Amino acid sequence: MSTAKTVKVRFNLRDKFGDWWEGTTRNQRVIFRIALIGFFFILPFLDNPVFGTNESDFSSVLFYPMGMFAIMAIGLNIIVGKSGILDLGYVAFFAIGAYTHAILNLNFGFPFWINVFLGMGFAMLAGLMLGLPALRLRGDYLAIITLGFGEIVRILAINLNFTGGAAGLAGIAAPPTLFGIEFVVDNPKPFYWLLLTMMLLVIWAYLRLVARRPGRAWEAIREDEDVAEFMGVATMKYKLWGFILGGAVGGAVGAVYSAQVTSIVPEQFTLQLSIMILACVVFGGMGNIWGVALGAALLGYFPEKLRFLSETRIVFFGILMVVMMNIRPNGIIPRKKREKVYDKNTGKEVSR
Amino acid sequence: MDFSILWTEFASLLLDGIVVGAIYALVALGYTLVYGVLRLINFAHSEIFMIGTFASLGVTMMLGFTGFEEPLGILAFLGVFLLVATVAGVASGSAAMLLEVVAYRRLRRNNANRLASLISAIGASLFLVEIFRIITDSKDWDFPRLLEKNSLFEISTAYFTVDKIVVLFGAFGLMFFLDRIIQTTKLGRGIRAVSQDEKTAILMGVDVDRVIAFTFLIGGVLAGVGSAFYMLFYEATKFNVGFLLGISAFTAAVLGGIGNIRGALAGSFALGIIQQFSSAVLGYNWRDVVTFLILVLVLLFKPTGLFGEALQRARV
Amino acid sequence: MSDRLLEIRNLTMKFGGVTALSEVNLHVSEGEIAALIGPNGAGKTTVFNVATGYYSPTAGDILLDNESIVGLKTYKIARKGLARTFQNVRLFGDMTALENVMTGADSRNKVGLIGSMFGTPTSKKDEDRSHKKAAELLNFMGISHRAGQLARNLPYGDQRRLEIARALALEPKVLLLDEPAAGFNPQEKVELGDLIKKIRDAGFAVLLIEHDMSLVMKISDRVSVLDFGQKIAEGTPSEVQNNQKVIDAYLGVAD
Repeated sequence: MSTAKTVKVRFNLRDKFGDWWEGTTRNQRVIFRIALIGFFFILPFLDNPVFGTNESDFSSVLFYPMGMFAIMAIGLNIIVGKSGILDLGYVAFFAIGAYTHAILNLNFGFPFWINVFLGMGFAMLAGLMLGLPALRLRGDYLAIITLGFGEIVRILAINLNFTGGAAGLAGIAAPPTLFGIEFVVDNPKPFYWLLLTMMLLVIWAYLRLVARRPGRAWEAIREDEDVAEFMGVATMKYKLWGFILGGAVGGAVGAVYSAQVTSIVPEQFTLQLSIMILACVVFGGMGNIWGVALGAALLGYFPEKLRFLSETRIVFFGILMVVMMNIRPNGIIPRKKREKVYDKNTGKEVSR
Repeated sequence: MDFSILWTEFASLLLDGIVVGAIYALVALGYTLVYGVLRLINFAHSEIFMIGTFASLGVTMMLGFTGFEEPLGILAFLGVFLLVATVAGVASGSAAMLLEVVAYRRLRRNNANRLASLISAIGASLFLVEIFRIITDSKDWDFPRLLEKNSLFEISTAYFTVDKIVVLFGAFGLMFFLDRIIQTTKLGRGIRAVSQDEKTAILMGVDVDRVIAFTFLIGGVLAGVGSAFYMLFYEATKFNVGFLLGISAFTAAVLGGIGNIRGALAGSFALGIIQQFSSAVLGYNWRDVVTFLILVLVLLFKPTGLFGEALQRARV
Repeated sequence: MSDRLLEIRNLTMKFGGVTALSEVNLHVSEGEIAALIGPNGAGKTTVFNVATGYYSPTAGDILLDNESIVGLKTYKIARKGLARTFQNVRLFGDMTALENVMTGADSRNKVGLIGSMFGTPTSKKDEDRSHKKAAELLNFMGISHRAGQLARNLPYGDQRRLEIARALALEPKVLLLDEPAAGFNPQEKVELGDLIKKIRDAGFAVLLIEHDMSLVMKISDRVSVLDFGQKIAEGTPSEVQNNQKVIDAYLGVAD
């Protein structure tokens, strides 16, 4: 059990929201969810001087960095927040997805949708190959290995021919027209909606996993890995799965990214990006998917909105990480579990 | 891949490997000492080094060197270089102590988990790199050539130029000095005690805060002086110089066995030599991949390194 | 003898130069409460650690229900039916009491990750099973009123019971209890003794490490004594209590 001093928090968003949520009926919840999703879909049309970004196109910002950071943060959260594995090389999965689409499209004419799944597949394979040996190790060593992996991928991209070397690859195809909506370079909206849809899928899958056996297994592993093992949890298997699933998200998103920007260079896939996504997870609240998504969106949004932050955005990220760890290590929306009420016989949670 | 170059240039590559290894060693010692007392990887140590390089540069700029002067005589050079190394050492040492207070101390007091400390260190590293990137405008900054790099003597293809000899002497001297500090002074004993068993050390009256601050100081000073040697040898720096050098130094520390001082030295020279040889055969742009590969392979297959102690399993 | 559910044969455990256990022979038979006692540092917890696969023995064999489990991974051994509690309570603090027990119950389920994600019928069945089993066990241990509370917030006594409930969720053949009465007052110890007997009556064989002699004497069928990594005596509680070697071990022999 954790022996860390519990920080007294005066205001806890999660608990306040949780209290309200407990009081709602099932129908109210459905309406709330639909309204929320609807809000995010129409968000690109809500560009206005008050909370729109002035310097760059709001829709573009919604796609990158806000949307991208959010979905990657969710992916990284599965690894870091849920399974407790510190991954400093998450950008590698992103790069693998991006280059998969680029290479297969430019050289063999593979279409976008195939490449998304292949990108995911290759990223998962990479996760497996790295994870099998590496996940046997302890926290800081593991972190360094993942960092090494991320860098190796980047340097290989610079040095190898089929990745286009330092000049990268250009002329990557956008996704084909879907439901009458065209994907073109100068209109980020369809890409944003695609990203949003993927995010919803990921969140759906994640919530199901977390509510069931895998979620309990991951939590147990993070709380006390040795004891989890004593209680029959196949820790290696679950850690690997956490790693692979997180990688899958990164890979899929990478393919979307390369389709939108249509040209990629190795310098877009740096250690710094890994660290920025990690900052989102840390800021948002490790293990808490809503906090992480919100944190990522905020961290993507504010540097775009506030000019002075724009230039010094990474300085800000660095300070943020130090400050958060020292003052509020659980993030803006902490992971802290709420007490529950169960039925005495079935053991199921009772919703009021 | 031309392997014959290993034979023809053997002495030269070996010498350069040792010189580079000496610089790595000074930085690697910082990683290994901090790991010994805190069981933590000081992620921001690479930036401590980087600060030293700019401090070195700062001294020469303040002294008015533009890089276009006549080279100095040997005594003048030594005087100037001593000043440079001292200022760099002080700058890095103080930066390291400040780093400990800001990024690590509070977490240590609160018994925070490893993850939190590592993230805090990463944040500090990120902050320092970016601040310097902005200040230095992302440019390469050159270090003036203070003296002619004449070759004093040769062994086979190895040219023992003045700068290399200075680096070797200086580095070995420092390492000897460090050994004396660790073995004979009170704080040195404190470092050894805390490295072996923190709880007992506290019970024996060791002031752990002071020992840790001192450890960071020593590590920082070594990195700072190492940075002066680096500037002498490579004659240029940039805001991100810390990263790759830090990875090399860290790999060296791990290769030798993290937490083990002798291991850090052995690993540094070994890595320096391996890097020179592999660059000669594969080309310079593969050097970093080789370094990362060594790092990853060592951590995967022999995490205790060449000399490290067995990793303790938690008592159940 | 086939009714020996757990059999430890000639177990030797060396850590570097230190011999923690030397040719130790222990067994737990079906339906019995066996106790393992001895002075501090005798190696009792080490026996548990080796039996559950945390350490690989230097020499010797360990059989669970006549099947050798040496060399198996810890989680596999747990699933085969060897569950334990810990000297210092080690619960999953941020999970509710019910969830703690469910992690143990989960290990008896078949559903994998893909199944959980897609909500297959197997996964739903397994989920229900885990929930129900956990609720039953909390009831059995008398702490069902704590089900929804976070494990870290439970009072000490209930934490100890929760840890036992979690171990029982594995449906073990043999339950290993490591100083379950530590920190209890006499009244609580009596209740614990009754609880352990109840567990035995429900069909679990128990091996417990304990320092409280009166508890051991009251509920154990058989007692083994360890000193400096060697078994020095074994027998019924009263036999062991009067054994001179045991008395010497605890009191120390004058030179």
